[in-house]
Amino acid sequence: MSSRRAFLKAGGIALFGVGFGGVPSFMARAADSKKILSPYKKKKIMVCIFQRGAMDGLMAVTPFTDTYLQAARPTLFMSAAKKGTGTSLIDLDGRFGLHPSMAAFEPLFREKRLAIVHGIGSPNTTRSHFDAQDYMESGMPFNKGAASGWLNRAVGLLGHDATPFRAVSLTSSMPRSFYGDNAAIAINDLKDFAIQMKGNPMSANVAAKSFEDLYDQASSSLLKETGKESFDAIKMLQKTDVKNYVPANGVRYPGTALGNALKQIAQLIKMDVGLEVAFAESGGWDTHFNQGTDTGIFARNVTDLSQCITAFWSDISAYQDDVTLMTMTEFGRTVKQNGTGGTDHGRASCNFILGNDVNGGLVHGNIQQLSVENLADGRDLAVTTDFRSVFSEVADKHLRINNDAALFPDWKGDKIGVMNKV
Amino acid sequence: MKKMFSRISGLVLISIGLVLLSSFFDAPPKAKSSFRMAYKQAGLTDRQAAAHLLSRFTYGATPGEVDAVVAQGLENWFTAQLTATNADDSLKQLLSSYDALNLTNPQIELIFPRGPAVLRAAIKDGVVDKDSVKTDRKEYREKIQAYMREKGFKPEQELVRQFINQKIIRAAYSENQLQEVMTEFWFNHFNVSFTKPDCARFIPNYERDAIRPNALGHFEDLLMSTAKSPAMLYYLDNFSSSGTNTNMEQQNNNRNGAFRKRFAANALNNDSALAKKGQNPKKGMGGLNENYAREVMELHTLGVDGGYTQSDVTQAAKILTGWTIYPMGNLYNNNAGARKALEQLGEEKMKERGFVHEGDFLFAVNRHDNSEKVVLGKKFPSGHGYDEGVTLLTMLAHHPSTANFICKKIAVRFVNDTPPQSLVDKMVKTFKDKNGDIKEVLITMVSAPEFWSKEALREKTKSPFELAISSVRSLNAQVNQPYQIFNWVNKMGQKMYYYQAPTGFPDRGQYWINTGALLNRMNFGLALASNRIPGVKFDLLALNQHHEPESAEAALKIYSALFMPERNTDETTKRLVPLLTDPNLQQKVDEAAGKTVTAQQGSADAMQEQDMTMAANTDAQQMKKIKAKAVAKNNTPAATDMATTGGNNKYTLSQVIGIIIGSPEYQRK
Repeated sequence: MSSRRAFLKAGGIALFGVGFGGVPSFMARAADSKKILSPYKKKKIMVCIFQRGAMDGLMAVTPFTDTYLQAARPTLFMSAAKKGTGTSLIDLDGRFGLHPSMAAFEPLFREKRLAIVHGIGSPNTTRSHFDAQDYMESGMPFNKGAASGWLNRAVGLLGHDATPFRAVSLTSSMPRSFYGDNAAIAINDLKDFAIQMKGNPMSANVAAKSFEDLYDQASSSLLKETGKESFDAIKMLQKTDVKNYVPANGVRYPGTALGNALKQIAQLIKMDVGLEVAFAESGGWDTHFNQGTDTGIFARNVTDLSQCITAFWSDISAYQDDVTLMTMTEFGRTVKQNGTGGTDHGRASCNFILGNDVNGGLVHGNIQQLSVENLADGRDLAVTTDFRSVFSEVADKHLRINNDAALFPDWKGDKIGVMNKV
Repeated sequence: MKKMFSRISGLVLISIGLVLLSSFFDAPPKAKSSFRMAYKQAGLTDRQAAAHLLSRFTYGATPGEVDAVVAQGLENWFTAQLTATNADDSLKQLLSSYDALNLTNPQIELIFPRGPAVLRAAIKDGVVDKDSVKTDRKEYREKIQAYMREKGFKPEQELVRQFINQKIIRAAYSENQLQEVMTEFWFNHFNVSFTKPDCARFIPNYERDAIRPNALGHFEDLLMSTAKSPAMLYYLDNFSSSGTNTNMEQQNNNRNGAFRKRFAANALNNDSALAKKGQNPKKGMGGLNENYAREVMELHTLGVDGGYTQSDVTQAAKILTGWTIYPMGNLYNNNAGARKALEQLGEEKMKERGFVHEGDFLFAVNRHDNSEKVVLGKKFPSGHGYDEGVTLLTMLAHHPSTANFICKKIAVRFVNDTPPQSLVDKMVKTFKDKNGDIKEVLITMVSAPEFWSKEALREKTKSPFELAISSVRSLNAQVNQPYQIFNWVNKMGQKMYYYQAPTGFPDRGQYWINTGALLNRMNFGLALASNRIPGVKFDLLALNQHHEPESAEAALKIYSALFMPERNTDETTKRLVPLLTDPNLQQKVDEAAGKTVTAQQGSADAMQEQDMTMAANTDAQQMKKIKAKAVAKNNTPAATDMATTGGNNKYTLSQVIGIIIGSPEYQRK
């Protein structure tokens, strides 16, 4: 239970003027030792976004000089040649072009805060969404029975004490990535983190007080300690007007699920409640039908993804040094377009990593000029970078988790330099 | 079914100690039990023991149930539960409106086709143009919906909903509570998950046919029936696993070549979209898949430290190649061809060739690796088919490591999170002696003093599902919209039937209790008691013989005793009574809460439509108005305002009940 105790010490004293029901007991103690605040402040935050459904990495970041790709995608291929309409690819480096609907990413890429890894994926060749997501989230691509998720193991490897908000998933139920022994919260909406009596807020306060007293007295230490943490956590959140949150810098988040999730992650970051690993999801990437080019389903998806992320990034401008954000998706899509204007399940895709300690402005990875010989099963972009090599590097350089054997058992491999050397 | 009945009747005979050659229909259990529960040795009274028994082997005692069990005799009650022979007429009545629950898997496949299958069919039938799919969302959706109505298709979510509802209803109302508890236990042990689309629509029948009938039977039967069930075959991918050795190729060539070709080409891809592209785009046949073979050892039988190696896993996987699903009728995928091929061959010929067809299960001999294998030191000679898989699973079911692993898990479920080895040892002995008979293992457990010890009583934390259902049972509530309960259980951290990993939900208090989940337990209590969970009805006064408690303090005492029989709730009462009777409580709390908090909470729920400025400038009078409105809206028997003990005490009976349900003591069992 040492971690629970430590929360009381570390729990962000600056937040608490008055808590309801009196001053939280730990505040008095914490007030005597301001010193402990500084290491706490230094904590880094990793934000992960899972793009469920398998993003077409070849359309998000297109190797536009590749004639094989062009031939394989007669109606999906876009060119980087300027047409003056704003609908051509954004030329990143003479070889790769960013989808025009991700224009919001361009400045971050040019500022070298945004890195792209192309050809990333899992060594397990399954093309089932379920299995591939399961493997990527557990971080053990050949072990169905892996009990824990990689982010839960990451949390356990942080090596210091936790607050209740250390690991938060902005989803309605716990994602596979967070399965495991370390405490994590799954919550859709931060304002639900309170004692609630719908239509009867006054009674809710009375009930809260009653519960707080009861749990304080509980004979089970698990219930007692967790009860205490719960009420402390409520108090933390209630110091801020969660519902009427105003993002910084005039930022407006897209009103989508992802926008909402990132907005709340930004709030938690700013509240300084001890967040270290956050998780959110983005859906709709399974584009078998009519995925479109500069407009259409895929364009809408990447617009949302890039605008949500850039909104988040400018909202947390004062905290950017502490935050690294990484996207992931279970696999990529077929090189060849299918008969219904879409693409089917493939192998490698690409991902995005954003942060001030990221080795940005580069398309990392090792994808070759496409040809039948170097495609996986003769049809898909081959996986040339194991996802664990990238995930572990971000965890290592940003969160200082350097125990790869514990983070990704069964894996040994090299880092590819997506993060700056410190 | 016959097999199950004979097993059950067999047990009835044994445990009753009668040697009568009658079926169990003729011999309803007028149980005189042959075992003694060891609670007196542990210093418990009959009532205390009955309360403990009910807390562990049911989803919570209903009011008066403790007395009923004492009157019946604890051993007799348990014997009836073990045989699951209590008449359950009212449950049947409650379930009668769920029409999807009695379907076979092939029927389900036809009525609840998956989205992609519908889409392809719609394109094929020219209802939607493939170029318009998903480009015009609304029009496209409407067309698809009309098409589904015309074809008599229903969305899969409807099946899932009926299934989840039935589980909640069974847990709340079945007279055979232990059967439901064990069904949940074994489902979780042999976990499959709605998160995996391939297996989702087969999950209802997995529980109905593979788990529930065997929940109190022999472990071996559970293992065998789950191994052959479509849900498990899909969930752990064995359906696609096939051998690649030369023996098999030779066998293929020697046999009816044309059939082989056709059958293999169709390759049993029950859901074309995923399976075909999924496993191996080149061959269409899966190759060896070790997932099931690994988990059957690690999670279902031996346990991770059960003494097997990677080589055992691979060899076992080879033994199980060809264990797959009989292609089901569906016009819209590739099964039609495979099924036709089998039908043309005919059952007789299939048998001759070594195929096995049992319901949805198919042993496809042409996909089987019939080379020699060695698993756990046992040699499986070459040239065998279905039989060696049966031999393997039987061996695993009776392996000593399995006895240890399963008995420990049962003890964790029913005793505490770290059960004493002395108890586990006794259970293991019974498991081995009685051929893996679950009933006998449970009898051994309750016959041991450890089950009744201080270290066991109240030591388990209710899972969210157990909390929700025990509340319903405490309240004698009527649940008209069970899915609402499911939503709350999810909020409290247990999305039932959606646990993604084959491990199933961990069974320990620490897993269930974290800050977010705990708060939602409290909120659940408040919401339930104040009638804010739609479709859940109850009458609080009826529980107290229609007497209104004279004070909040009296209410607390009366209902604590009703909801938590034989528990010492003095501490709860002592702690709460001063609060309850403080005339200025409301004022104090509100002051302490501060204006921002109240305003924020208010705006979060009741006052959404109200002017925000008003909420921000909250003053006592305005809040009173809002509260009056809220109370008026909530004018139900549950919200009966109690006689106040003075001042402006705002405690209502429903609030007291909500606090009891959310209290730490009620989280334990």
